Amino acid sequence: MLTISNLTVSYGLHRALGDVSLNVSAGEIVVMLGANGAGKSTLLRSVAGICEGQTGGRIDLSGKDILTRKSDEIVEAGIAFVPEGRGIFGDLTVWENLMLGAYSERGRRGKTKNLDWVLELFPKLKERKSQLARTMSGGEQQMVAIGRAMMANPEILMLDEPSLGLSPLLCKELFENLSHIRETGMGVLLVEQNAKQSLAIADRGYLIENGEITGENTAAAMLTDPAVQAAYLGGGAGSENRSQGGEDG
Amino acid sequence: MDILISGLLLGGTYALMAMGLNLQYGVARIMNLANGEMLVLGGLAAFWLFTTAAVSPLLTAFVVAPLAFAGNWLIYRYLLLPLVRRAKSTGQLEVDSILATFGMSFALVGIMVSIHGEYFTYSYLADPFSILGSTVALNRFIAFLAAAAIGFALYYWLNHTYAGTAVRAVSVSTEAAGLVGINVDKVSAMAFALGGAVTAVGGTLISTFITLDASVGVIFTMKALIIMIMGGVGDIRGAVIAALILGLVETAVATIIDPGLTLASAYVIFLAVLLFRPQGLFGRRSS
Repeated sequence: MLTISNLTVSYGLHRALGDVSLNVSAGEIVVMLGANGAGKSTLLRSVAGICEGQTGGRIDLSGKDILTRKSDEIVEAGIAFVPEGRGIFGDLTVWENLMLGAYSERGRRGKTKNLDWVLELFPKLKERKSQLARTMSGGEQQMVAIGRAMMANPEILMLDEPSLGLSPLLCKELFENLSHIRETGMGVLLVEQNAKQSLAIADRGYLIENGEITGENTAAAMLTDPAVQAAYLGGGAGSENRSQGGEDG
Repeated sequence: MDILISGLLLGGTYALMAMGLNLQYGVARIMNLANGEMLVLGGLAAFWLFTTAAVSPLLTAFVVAPLAFAGNWLIYRYLLLPLVRRAKSTGQLEVDSILATFGMSFALVGIMVSIHGEYFTYSYLADPFSILGSTVALNRFIAFLAAAAIGFALYYWLNHTYAGTAVRAVSVSTEAAGLVGINVDKVSAMAFALGGAVTAVGGTLISTFITLDASVGVIFTMKALIIMIMGGVGDIRGAVIAALILGLVETAVATIIDPGLTLASAYVIFLAVLLFRPQGLFGRRSS
C-alpha cells in the first residue's frame, strides 16, 4: 500500500505541490485528474525518485519511507513507473527492454511468472521481440513500456498519461488492458487527461489543481459529479476531441 | 597492398583506444580528455617492465588492465561523480568534465615526466613478418590480433550478456535505466573504469611499435575523439570502421605524401565528417 502524506515539492521558489496526501491500495486503480501544469507529473516523478525539485513530507510504501531514495531503490521497494513519453530504451530490442524490466532483485524473483503474464496480455510483443523498440508504433511502444514496468514485479504501478498520442481505438484497448492488471493484485496510480475512459475503469479518483488535492471520491461518483463533468468531462465531449488529435495506430 | 595491410593493423589498435573513450563518454557521460594519458600510462608500464625485468608487453597487459580499472574507478567515484551529481544538465556536465579531465591530463603528464622524461624506447618482436605478400613488423601484427580479440570480447559482452545490456541501457537513458532498477552510478563507474582499462591496454599494445613519450597523450586523445565522433557515440561497429579508415588514411598519407602530414589528414577527414555526417557514419540524427 502506497501512502503519501503532506508531500510538498518546490522548484526553487516555485511551489509545484503543496501538502498532497493520498493512498493507493493493492488491487485498486486510482486515477488522478487535473489540467496541464496542475502538478500531476511532479507527483508521480517525486514518488518514483526522479524529481529534481526539493521535496518534503512522507511517502510510505508498506511502512517504509521512500521519499529520499534513488529511483533504482524505489523500484526495488516495489514501485514501477511508466513516465510520460514512455521512457523505453529505443535502441534496444523489445525483448531486451522486457528483460531489463526485471533487473531489480525483486523483478528477478517473479521473472518467469511476470513474463508469461505480460506476453499473455500483449501477445504482439512476442512476435516483435527482436525489433528495436523505437521502430514500433506508438501503441506498441506503450505495450513495451507497460510490460517492462510489470516485469519489475511491483506492488504499485504508476502511469503518467499512457493514452497520450494514441488513437481512440488504441486508447480503448489500453484502458481494457489496465483494468486487467488489477487482477494481479497490483495497485495502479494513473494520471490522465482522458477523464471519461480512465474513470470508467478506476475505483477511486482524486482531483488536483494548482498543486493541491481539491477533491476525492469513488470513480462512479466522480463520473456523475457536475463539477467534475464541467471541468474534465466537458459534457462528455472533451475527451473525444483530444483523442481525435492523436496520431498513429 | 603494403599500405592497406599496415593501415588496417594500425587502425585495429586505434579502434581499441576509441572503444575505451566511447565507453567513458557514451555510458558514463564523461568526455575524458585525459584518455590519451591513460594510454601513455599503459605504454609506460610496458616500457618499464620490459626494460627493468624483461617482461613481455603481452603479459604486462594483464597487469595494466586491473590496475587501470581500479585507478579509473577511483577517479570516477571521487573526482567525477560529484560533478555528475551536481550537474543540472548534460551541457553543464560536459563542460565540467572536460575541464576536470583536461586538468587531470596535465597532472598525469607531470607524473609521467617525473618517472621517465625521455622516449619510451624498447624493442619487442620487431622482426619482419610476412602476411599476404607484404612484410610488416611482427609486433604490429600481434598488437592487432590482441586488439581484435579484446574488441570482439567487448562487443559480445555488451550485446549478448545481461550485464552488457544494462550498460547499453544506461547509455540510452540514465533516467529510464534508474526506473528499471539499474544503479546508474554503479554501472557508470564500472563503464568508466572498463573504458580506462581498455585504453590503457591499447597503450601497452601500441607501445610495442610506436615510440611513446610522457607528453604524447594529447595526440591520442584527439585521434580517439575523431574516431568516436566519426563512428558515432556509443556505436562500437562505427568506431571500428572509423578507426580502420583513420589507420588507412594516415598510413597512405605518410607513405605517399609525407609522414608529417598524418595528423593533418586525420583532421581533414574529421572536418568532412563534421560537415556532412555530424551524427557519425552510422549514427542516427538525434531527435
